[in-house]
Amino acid sequence: MNSKYWNEEIETMPRKQLEQFQVERLKKTVEIAMGSEFYAPKFKELGITPESIKSVEDIKRFPFTTKNDLRATYPFGIKSIPLEKVVRLHSSSGTTGNPTVILHSKKDLDEWADAMARSMYCIGLRNTDIIQNTSGYGMFTGGLGIQYAAERLGALTVPAGAGNSKRHVKFITDFGTTALHCIPSYATRLAAAFEEEGIDPRNTTVHTLIIGAEPHSEAQRKRIEEIWGAKAYNNFGMSEMCGPGVAIECQEQNGMHIWEDNYIVEILDPETLEPVPEGELGELVLTTLNREAMPLFRYRTRDLTRILPGDCPCGRTHKRLARFQGRSDDMMIVKGVNIYPIQIEKILMQFPELASDYLITIETVGDNDEMTVEAELAQATDDFSMLQNLTKEITRRLKDEILLTPRVKLVGKGVIPQSDGKAKRVNDLRNNH
Amino acid sequence: MKTIKQISIFLENQRGKLSDILTALKNENIEIQAASVADTNEFGILRLITSDQKKAAKLLSAQGNLVSMNEVLAIQVEPDTASFTDAIDALTAGGCTISYLYTFHKDGKLVLIIRPSNSLEIAERVASEKGLTLIQGWE
Repeated sequence: MNSKYWNEEIETMPRKQLEQFQVERLKKTVEIAMGSEFYAPKFKELGITPESIKSVEDIKRFPFTTKNDLRATYPFGIKSIPLEKVVRLHSSSGTTGNPTVILHSKKDLDEWADAMARSMYCIGLRNTDIIQNTSGYGMFTGGLGIQYAAERLGALTVPAGAGNSKRHVKFITDFGTTALHCIPSYATRLAAAFEEEGIDPRNTTVHTLIIGAEPHSEAQRKRIEEIWGAKAYNNFGMSEMCGPGVAIECQEQNGMHIWEDNYIVEILDPETLEPVPEGELGELVLTTLNREAMPLFRYRTRDLTRILPGDCPCGRTHKRLARFQGRSDDMMIVKGVNIYPIQIEKILMQFPELASDYLITIETVGDNDEMTVEAELAQATDDFSMLQNLTKEITRRLKDEILLTPRVKLVGKGVIPQSDGKAKRVNDLRNNH
Repeated sequence: MKTIKQISIFLENQRGKLSDILTALKNENIEIQAASVADTNEFGILRLITSDQKKAAKLLSAQGNLVSMNEVLAIQVEPDTASFTDAIDALTAGGCTISYLYTFHKDGKLVLIIRPSNSLEIAERVASEKGLTLIQGWE
């Protein structure tokens, strides 16, 4: 296969036709969801039937679905088809209340694998590649989701799984791995593991990294590309929508194409739930169009992004999402200022003296909120005044960005707690939280 | 160049940090000859001269510390303030300025550990020319 596209017809479909395609799939999805105890009564109340849907605009008539709905109906309350047709479930950890469960039919798994294979193809991966997955194989969709997709692509797939960097280093070296799937913070950690073995990651066979599942800045991507001497593509997925394979950057690296044959995309003001003007920042709200075990309508992802205007030179007609600006529920209000962790990360990444881990702590001191930013030093030094100046400069640049003055604390390696899952970035210790 | 190796360890301002480092050295029978701590409210740098610098640096790095090794001047003088003053005056006369300094006693002498704020090479040359006794490494 020498085409530029995995599925040229779908990926380059003219907008009008694509919207018509969405309408057909929305009708079909409504028909399936009539079998859901959760959606059927709501549809009845709102007069939603397959026949009543005439255009994509009809999505506005649908009720929203939230993570709380998933929790309240745990485990199988939203399913649209009988359990005997369901073949797999994925679940998120239940650190705050009930976990959430997402069900998949055989067809769902098939479509998911195809969508993520399309995403891999889109960034130039082919069946000649050797793809190593550093995600955990279990309830987290980054494991099996990537596995099935890479196999669908026809690539040799290495299901190495999470953790054990030494083993990853060995596999990459021994197998000649050409592409890695990892969260951004692990990309830098794994590079450090190579350096500990005396190997420059740029001298490995890895030419592509699929990074996602953790918000990261453009500066962090650049850093990852530099230390690996490889291309890093931002990949978006969430278990509620299937898992990885919802949207990915093409080789232009300018926004992630969201596969609109599979989803209706809305960008809404998180307060009013009305659409924001085109190209402005808002909450991403998604409706699944190609799932049957558990279709979700107007799912509030809490991710803040915007649609990039204009056509993409790659020829794909599917809309592009800008890099996520954080999550609407990640937003911290400190001394009346709205702050997202990604703003802080963006600044820290501009300092080559710093490694990639950081931790923001907010606590109440007297009547005031105080913010401390701990940033990990990349290298040892004997130069005391350099460290003092670095602290001052980081403080100044953070103040310019977030409009309040945090206490900046440089720390050595290993002080900031690390986990194999998503890195913890904010520690809010305030009384009122 | 007649210099000695010093190791510098980045210290978070964290309870128990110094003790962890000292314990690690103690367990490996590494003797500390001189130590100095520079600090702010937020962090410090611990500078050490030990009986085995390479081993100490390796050990402390493996423990997860940020450790760097660099060269400093070690000037040996008589253990009195007059000799101390003479040594500093000699360096000053030769155009050297000092970034930091700490001292310790060894074999009945006073040893000045000096990191010049300008060139280490020039400082070493000045010290030699002025007839100061420079220690090179430790046996």
